[in-house]
Amino acid sequence: MSAVTLDGPPAVTARRPRLLRTPRWFVILWRNKKARFGMVLLALFLLMAAFAPWLAPYDPRDGGFAPGLPPSAEHWFGTTGRGFDVASQAIWGARTSLLVGLVAGTISTLIALAIGMTAGYLGGFADEVLSFFTNLVLVVPTLPLMVTLAAYMPGGGGVWMVIVVIGITGWAGGARNKRAQILTLRNREYIQGARQAGDGIFRIIFREIAPNMTSLIVVGFIGAVGGAIGAEAGLAFIGIGDPETISWGTMLYWASQDGALLTGGFARLVVPGLLLALLTTALTFINFGVDALSNPHLREQ
Amino acid sequence: MTYFARRIGFFVLTLWGAVTLNFLIPRMSAGDPAQAILEQVAAKDGYVDPAQLEAVRAMLGVPDASLWSQYVDYLGNIASGNFGVSYTYFPYSVTDVIGDALPWTIVLLGTTLVLSFVIGTLLGAWVAWRRNTGFDAVVTVGSSFLGTLPFFWLALLLIYVFAITLGWLPSSGGYSGAVEPGPSPEFFVDAWQHFLLPAAAIMITGPIGWMLGMRNNMVASLGEDFTRFGRAKGLPARVLAVSYGARVAILPNITGFALALGGLVGGTALVEQVFNYPGMGRLLLEAVGNKDFPLMQTIFLFSTVGVLVANLAADMLYGLLDPRARRKETA
Amino acid sequence: MALVEVEHLSVDYRSRDLPPSHAVRDVSFSIAEGEFVGLLGESGCGKSTLGNALLHLLDRPAHHAGGSVRFDGQDLYALSERDVNRLRWREIATVFQSSMNALNPVLRVAKQFHDAMDAHGWREGVDGDRHARIREVLADVELDADRVMRSYPHELSGGMRQRVVLALALLLRPRFVLLDEPTTGLDVLVQRSIVELLRRIQREQGFTVLFISHDLGTVLEIADRVMVMYAGEVVESRPSAELATNPLHPYSHGLLGSFDDPRAEHVSVAYIAGRPPALTEPPPGCPFAPRCPSRLAACDDVVPTLDDAPEAAGPGPSLVRCHLFTDVGAAELGAGTVPETPRFAEVTAWSGAASSAEGREPLVVVEDLVKTYERRRGLRKERVEAVRGVSFTLVPGQVRALVGQSGSGKSTIAKILTRTERATSGTLRVDGVDPGSLRRAALREYRSRVQMVFQDPFAALNPTKTVGDSLGRPLRNYLGLTGDALWQRVLELLESVGLSPAATYVDKLPHQLSGGQRQRVVVARAMAPRPRLLVADEPISMLDVSIRAEILELLADTVREQDVTMLYITHDLLSARLLADDIMVMRSGEIVEQGPTAQVVREARHPYTRSLLDAIPRPARAGAVPAGPTATESTTPTGAPA
Repeated sequence: MSAVTLDGPPAVTARRPRLLRTPRWFVILWRNKKARFGMVLLALFLLMAAFAPWLAPYDPRDGGFAPGLPPSAEHWFGTTGRGFDVASQAIWGARTSLLVGLVAGTISTLIALAIGMTAGYLGGFADEVLSFFTNLVLVVPTLPLMVTLAAYMPGGGGVWMVIVVIGITGWAGGARNKRAQILTLRNREYIQGARQAGDGIFRIIFREIAPNMTSLIVVGFIGAVGGAIGAEAGLAFIGIGDPETISWGTMLYWASQDGALLTGGFARLVVPGLLLALLTTALTFINFGVDALSNPHLREQ
Repeated sequence: MTYFARRIGFFVLTLWGAVTLNFLIPRMSAGDPAQAILEQVAAKDGYVDPAQLEAVRAMLGVPDASLWSQYVDYLGNIASGNFGVSYTYFPYSVTDVIGDALPWTIVLLGTTLVLSFVIGTLLGAWVAWRRNTGFDAVVTVGSSFLGTLPFFWLALLLIYVFAITLGWLPSSGGYSGAVEPGPSPEFFVDAWQHFLLPAAAIMITGPIGWMLGMRNNMVASLGEDFTRFGRAKGLPARVLAVSYGARVAILPNITGFALALGGLVGGTALVEQVFNYPGMGRLLLEAVGNKDFPLMQTIFLFSTVGVLVANLAADMLYGLLDPRARRKETA
Repeated sequence: MALVEVEHLSVDYRSRDLPPSHAVRDVSFSIAEGEFVGLLGESGCGKSTLGNALLHLLDRPAHHAGGSVRFDGQDLYALSERDVNRLRWREIATVFQSSMNALNPVLRVAKQFHDAMDAHGWREGVDGDRHARIREVLADVELDADRVMRSYPHELSGGMRQRVVLALALLLRPRFVLLDEPTTGLDVLVQRSIVELLRRIQREQGFTVLFISHDLGTVLEIADRVMVMYAGEVVESRPSAELATNPLHPYSHGLLGSFDDPRAEHVSVAYIAGRPPALTEPPPGCPFAPRCPSRLAACDDVVPTLDDAPEAAGPGPSLVRCHLFTDVGAAELGAGTVPETPRFAEVTAWSGAASSAEGREPLVVVEDLVKTYERRRGLRKERVEAVRGVSFTLVPGQVRALVGQSGSGKSTIAKILTRTERATSGTLRVDGVDPGSLRRAALREYRSRVQMVFQDPFAALNPTKTVGDSLGRPLRNYLGLTGDALWQRVLELLESVGLSPAATYVDKLPHQLSGGQRQRVVVARAMAPRPRLLVADEPISMLDVSIRAEILELLADTVREQDVTMLYITHDLLSARLLADDIMVMRSGEIVEQGPTAQVVREARHPYTRSLLDAIPRPARAGAVPAGPTATESTTPTGAPA
């Protein structure tokens, strides 16, 4: 690693490190086989959601088909007990899952960031209170909490209520991790250096500390998205929220309600569950790669 | 003993926190909570049953009293074990209804929980010992995928395969109607048959979290200086794996026990729902469906307290196993 | 016959994404039974990797890439894992670099002794009573056996843990003990006691030792023979006394030059500019050539071999890997020419400072400063007095050293001066204000006038920020510079700390710089707001010996050119002697001695100051401790001859 001399006057030196660094990120992620698999899979789901109206053979709300048809050329996965096309519903369902996952995941990540970072950076009494609250939410069983909250939510249900319930219940684990991380980071000498250099508290938290937590935040966010997708499916399956929403969870709800098990509607059961599992797997595998990113051995060069 | 004192202190505080949360949730909505609840009930059923009105009133206390006096009444009710009357099972008290459901859940959840933890931890240790081999890769990747399968979906598949297609096991309930519940051999056999499928649904994914956790911890502890020093000492592989790798790695897994618990309770609730298993989870969902607020609240409280107690037990165990615990706490 | 024979040993680090790095390259040497050999090298030279290879303990990504390690005739790399395990501890024991973590945290100390005994089949009748043996080794390392055995590792201090590990190593009376930096991370006085203990036990029991260390003074003092390692190769192997007085390889010269006796009348210290080569592609010639002042033309493209040194070098078995002593070099130099002594850049103790500072108003006045920490332990409160009644003044243009062990309270004073913490009581005026009373804008303004140089150059720079970004912050915040003016100033700052041409450094991330370069950036950042007071907390203790003087020189130049006041905090009296006008010696929160540097160091009055001075290893005394045949007590300090 010998020093290289640059041509041209010093003042011309480009200041675009952030732009220049981004591809390396992607390169490392892409080099990781699991992460690559996850990213390709996720991309497929995103495309499926985005182009649902063109991809789906029928209107998912068109209940005009004969109920309980077996898989055929017209209905790849058959029809539901209420006469909907399973394939069309499965394709449209990706939209709900991704919407709930991304929005609820963002909400809980933001709450986790705000609470975890404040607690970790301020320390003292504020930390005690926030940490206690975090630990409390962490040990409260999630599904009963969500169910109870949903029961009291005004507005009777729908996707947005589900998003809010998932978002405000799923942040505790992330907040705890972020607090722990910031505790180790805030005593680094470069943080003291930034203070000596005259930087203010918000600049220190968001510009000095946060960039060093990028992979933790990304891992937390992706985890939260996966968790939210699973939670949406679970809640929809037990009939919380609007059962007329088209999602993989409601598909399973209806399959279970109208006795798909008994009537041999096997595809109705397998397809939404498998899609759910594949989407979550995509996210999990991407996280393997992000973990590799934060591995100092890969970073060092 | 500072460590234990602190853990008990935390338990008491969280217990209070959970009880208070339970008090606050129904009162979060604007306006008169009783009114809001009754409106919801009315919207669902088209009328308000007087029994329900009574139950809601009993749950929320005197509506015009200050929040503080309601809170005091509420704490008093809890202390005396008075959780009100269930609307769904009127005139039975909530306590009675829960008393019937609780043993089913304790057996189902308790057994699967302990088994999951033990299997997950052992498997994780084994995989960690054979780290960076094909075996490790297959198990890690495979279980990561398996872990993403939803509990209730697995439950549905199990029913489809073993109950409906093969007809080996019953698909729903905790026991057959033909058998009288009681301490008879017939009942135990019957209950065991009903227990197998729900337990299997939980056990397929239950151990995975602990397995992956144990693997990662133990890969780390096997890379620590003290393990390398143990290798330099020429210690046999068995000692290194058990006393150096696993013995240290299991500690964070015990803490992880607490974190996983909250999620597992929810998963069990879904499985109970699928199997129509007569436990707390199904009861909770039934209460939600029927807008039986007193029952719902009490189940929420019970499950939270249950998790807190299990948590405390895990903390105590941790304190016994890790000599550094006390020091960490004060540092 | 030699007990340990290493032949053509090579170790590579391999990873999927990076080209392999050849950490140990074709190393051969042998160690005779009973010999105490030192392996000396700086960070990254491959000495610890070599140690692990000797123990057959290489972990991925390190791979044994060739060569053999014979122990008593058996090649460890030809034996099965089971047979190697049989040799371990009974024959080959070790003390690791990070002994802090070498003990299993969840097992009692006694259990860890029993582990080793059980693993190697302790025979009660033949080997003696096992408890008696444990007591015996613990007594050998001067520990209270009863207390220690019952304890968990975390209940013992660092020095005690180190002794426990040493006792463990000696438990089964091994024939060979490999010690990898056994005292690093310990306090100076504790280090001293462990080194002395080690040498005493070794002489009594006669086991063979390979002592790996970066600490030249200690190695020369304790070992019979020293091997110097650079860039994965052994470059010189000499009896300690000979190496100390007459090093052959220029690198050894440079290393020795970085030491001097602070008590001498004239103290000067050399440094080796530049940095070691990357080991991914071994250079075509001598790896030291780019830094070598005695470089010949051949050095750039002919790899020198490790050969017998010329007779004149001394009576002991001497090997050196340098063209100054090879036929290739001789052809170039002309036969019979004695190579000139390599000349490295030097830093000389500066003694005229007091005059320039005389008669000026003090910038900092500290009177009766007290700092107590309160710690909650359960319900009780515990008070720790870190600083108890300290008074001193600092005059502009003056460098004052604050010397003490860890825990003496010296860093607390730094924190109070930089207003990271507030004093409990006492008066403090810095440039006319009391930092403790400052808020917001005033505090910000204060920070621009009082800056800090940190200890660890690896932690002091944000790993995600380029050098330019880090330097730009204080300029933007305090001087309000933006745009081209800011950029111009950043480049000037880099040039001023010797990072030239600045344009090559400005876009680098910290991990692309060497430790010395990073510390230069840290100094530049501290100087950016043109401070009046610079607090430097152990600024060189984390750097390699061969470049320490370089940073000292930079600090000295900075103080003199920019007329700032500096408080130099250190545990190292040599660097204090080189840099400071005055010295204060601190112990347990109190200043026990202070005065002009030369006076405090050369005529120390307080016993504590004297014990600190005694703890400094003196390479000149090499061979004096062991009863070696070539022991020569040299009274003149060694260093690069002027």
